[in-house]
Amino acid sequence: MMQEAPHSIRAPIAAFLSWILPGLGHFYLGQGARGLVFLVTVTATFWTGVAVGGVRSTVDPQQRRLWFVAQMCSGGNALGAFALHRSVADSSESPGSNLSSEVGVHYTGVAGLLNLLVILDAIGRAENLSAPTIRRELSESP
Amino acid sequence: MGMMAMMSTLGAIFIQAIELTAFQRFLLMWPLCLAIAVVYKSTRCVSMKQVPSATLILWVTMVFGLYAVGVGLWALCRLLV
Repeated sequence: MMQEAPHSIRAPIAAFLSWILPGLGHFYLGQGARGLVFLVTVTATFWTGVAVGGVRSTVDPQQRRLWFVAQMCSGGNALGAFALHRSVADSSESPGSNLSSEVGVHYTGVAGLLNLLVILDAIGRAENLSAPTIRRELSESP
Repeated sequence: MGMMAMMSTLGAIFIQAIELTAFQRFLLMWPLCLAIAVVYKSTRCVSMKQVPSATLILWVTMVFGLYAVGVGLWALCRLLV
């Protein structure tokens, strides 16, 4: 019973770490190779989208509210891009091609949704890691 | 000074949109499909050794499937309009 608390918070911690940085939750669960694949893939997809579409029109909560929600699923990447968006939002320069922005929005939105999948996977793996221990504790109890 | 110039260049990459031709936008579907295939198969495969081959199969299926849907819709539009 004393060890149940760490098991119960393992999944939320893994989920939060995965949100902060894609794959970090898997590193926390001891699955470094999988975590590295998630980190590289999701981060590269997100920042490729920002580079293609330009941060001013890609990460824009006023113009693209639902896409922004999807982008925010990639946590630290999206917060960094949003901070960059806020710092250049008042600039008088043209935001660039609208078609490029569409591609950028799709890339960043898909990266966010992929990170949602990574978060759910981290939760599932954290629960699977906890389950045998809990079962063993229950079977050992008198 | 060099560091500032590098940061400024890096910032410029992400601030200004890249002008793309229709064909370039068409090609940009490939890496996006690859990213989806890599992440999906990394969550599904028990061992990471299975990921490269499973990813390749899914990626090819997605790219050709989407092109097939595109050609099908284009043909339908040509027939109806």
